[in-house]
Amino acid sequence: MPSVCFYFQVHQPFRLKHYDCFKIGHDHFYEDEKSNKEILDRVSRKCYLPSNYTMLSLIDKHQGDFKIAYSLSGTVIEQMEKYRPDVLRSFQALTETGCVEFLSETYYHSLSFLYSKNEFVRQVKKHREKIKEHFNQEPTVFRNTELIYNNEIANFISIQGYKGIICEGVDHLLGYRNSNFIYHPPQNQNIKCLLKNYKLSDDIAFRFSNKGWDEWPLTAPKFANWVHQVAGNGETINLFMDYETFGEHQWPETGIFDFLAHAPSQILAHPDFDFKTPSEVIKKYEARGEYDAPNLTSWADIERDLSAWLGNSLQHDAMERIYALEKKVKETQDQNLIDCWAKLLTSDHFYYMCTKYWNDGDVHKYFSHYNSPHDAYINFMNVVTDLEHVLEMEEEKTEKLSIQSPM
Amino acid sequence: MANTLMLGWEFPPLFSGGLGVATYGMVKALSRNNSIRLIIPSASSIDLQNVNIVGLNKVNAEEINLERLRFDFSFLENVHQLPIAISPYHHVNENLETISKDEFELLVEGKATVSTIHHLFSGKEVYGRDIMHKVYVFSKLAEQIALNSEFDLIHAHDWVTYLAGIKIKQRTGKPLILHVHALETDRAGESTRNEIYGLEKNAMLLADKIIAVSQYTKNQIALHYGIDPSKISVVHNGIDQAKPERKRHQLKDKLVVFLGRLTNQKGPEFLLETARKVCTVYPRVKFVVAGTGDMFIHLLETSAYHKLGSKFIFTGFLSKEKANELLSMADVYFMPSVSEPFGLTALEAAQHQVPSVISNRSGAAEVIQSSLSADFWDTDKYANYIHALLRYNALSKELSARANEQLDSLTWNHASEKIEKIYHEILKNN
Repeated sequence: MPSVCFYFQVHQPFRLKHYDCFKIGHDHFYEDEKSNKEILDRVSRKCYLPSNYTMLSLIDKHQGDFKIAYSLSGTVIEQMEKYRPDVLRSFQALTETGCVEFLSETYYHSLSFLYSKNEFVRQVKKHREKIKEHFNQEPTVFRNTELIYNNEIANFISIQGYKGIICEGVDHLLGYRNSNFIYHPPQNQNIKCLLKNYKLSDDIAFRFSNKGWDEWPLTAPKFANWVHQVAGNGETINLFMDYETFGEHQWPETGIFDFLAHAPSQILAHPDFDFKTPSEVIKKYEARGEYDAPNLTSWADIERDLSAWLGNSLQHDAMERIYALEKKVKETQDQNLIDCWAKLLTSDHFYYMCTKYWNDGDVHKYFSHYNSPHDAYINFMNVVTDLEHVLEMEEEKTEKLSIQSPM
Repeated sequence: MANTLMLGWEFPPLFSGGLGVATYGMVKALSRNNSIRLIIPSASSIDLQNVNIVGLNKVNAEEINLERLRFDFSFLENVHQLPIAISPYHHVNENLETISKDEFELLVEGKATVSTIHHLFSGKEVYGRDIMHKVYVFSKLAEQIALNSEFDLIHAHDWVTYLAGIKIKQRTGKPLILHVHALETDRAGESTRNEIYGLEKNAMLLADKIIAVSQYTKNQIALHYGIDPSKISVVHNGIDQAKPERKRHQLKDKLVVFLGRLTNQKGPEFLLETARKVCTVYPRVKFVVAGTGDMFIHLLETSAYHKLGSKFIFTGFLSKEKANELLSMADVYFMPSVSEPFGLTALEAAQHQVPSVISNRSGAAEVIQSSLSADFWDTDKYANYIHALLRYNALSKELSARANEQLDSLTWNHASEKIEKIYHEILKNN
């Protein structure tokens, strides 16, 4: 009896305001409050609220047979607290149905695992606390930023007590096998990997409205039929995607909400199929083999690697500069300063600096408010330079104090 | 394979701006597949295979048939002293050579000999105060030479040769291609409607095809001259492939280099304003200004007024070798031009692995996508970019490496292939 496992990613970064060299040393507030609020308002109107409403109706209609999972980054929760408590409440209403699970991730939607294990652990913990506070859940399944994954991450997170981890189903790592089974990392039976079925996921997330696609238009019965074909050759069909797929990436005019409203009943029409949350999937199904990922993978672009965030020297430079400040920032024990620094770790800042497809004007451009990756880098680096300046001032202050205070 | 009558003005070793470099590079690449007769005012000993170079400074008496030519300069009576702003390439600090009135009188009276012509076109100043006279004489002589030549089409470079191009087209019926390296609206401002503008516009209307050195220039032609864009093709200039080495300078400050004539077109006041702003956020910098022009004194005085004297180094006009040496030591190349049809120097900077901050009203911004470009008046943005290049080494390295890659496709061979396609189409339709 195969299960369909939906997980939706909900995330917004704290975008930086236009910060030119003249602000360095003078202006220590970096967020673009206006556009962060505007974008959250827009996405709430187009996606979060209508989608949550649809999900709630579906759960209601199927009386416990339709289940889903979300991963909300700490930064999007903070923004909802600040600008849209109504949207936060609508997610809380979903929790109360008992059919919705929340996953664990890094609070700041960061690549911290690659740069600082300390910061990674701190962010995961901070995120757990936030999820507990708003949704009263203690996640047992972890998803790393952008599904960045390798054996080391799985092993590390398993030591932290997690039972499951979400990752991309990368073809060359699967070989002849498919993503519709549960796997475990090499020599580690304590954690199970849920692999994204990228074909079926991307049929919804990317291809749904593409009129050039030979399967267009994608209807709920057609999609359910594809799902049903897995019967006999899989136990879980993991459909992982950005929540903004509904209403924001795929506009309402494309029929995406109709599709969403009808797909579950079409899938459930086959008596062998049900819906499960990630933690239910790992409880129910045994790992059927090893998923060996020695190198880092992600769910981004065709390369499924880290080149969207660490593909050029600008991104590496910016990343190294900001992580180099960790010790100094934390030594100040100034919570505002630590938060301010940590918000700069959000992966989006580095994604905006991606040059690999820049000239083709593709999806990267769509997600960036900068005119060019170079502008993104310059803006970020000006902010980092100011933060370095602030930290130097803090250091001077403490030095003066320590000189003045008697032994 | 076409038989081309090419009309040029600047040609090595005699040139003032980018036109001579471009004409030479193009002729050389085109001569691989085409036979070219190139008429220029002044030829040296340069010899190219498949190219027959005719310099009026040493033209044969038989080719021009002086006895039958009548010159009439009356149309120029009101413009004997041309305002300096309409001369394309200023050399204000040099004394402009004036051709003696006698020579023109000899021409009008039909008493000129071939040596009068040789003398007329052997001065070192390629434009000068009598440029309109020269353009007129050039057109009459080129027409004579054309009548004694075999060719399929006419290819004329910049306004100085357009009059000749029109005359030859009218006499022979051969198709005329205008190659626009620069416009009067670039040099004298967008609202300019002077004689040169008029000449350009008439020629554009009569021409069979126009080649612009950038999309930017194509847009300017359509906008200010009212020419149908479908008549205009864009062919970016090439650049000689070279990989010059970087040199270290002994200064503790970083160097921002400006290379070009100090005229309004090149935006020297934006250079000054930007420098002032950069110095407030990054004091360890010097702005090296290489070039001369009618804005020099203004720039010098204003920089002193803003107490930026120690931040500026004025080198005056630099030879090619010196300019290259300067580029090889530069940290940032800065080109705030108000209007720059192509901007070869930005490409040369890229060859020297120097990242550039340039005006987006330029052809260079199209071809070097990894340059940082801004509106020509946006000195805040220029300063922010220059500051970033001075402070963040990774950016500097990334941009100069990318720019260098982008140059690889900018060859004259590549440009000449595009031009050959245009030749082919024109000949097919005629």
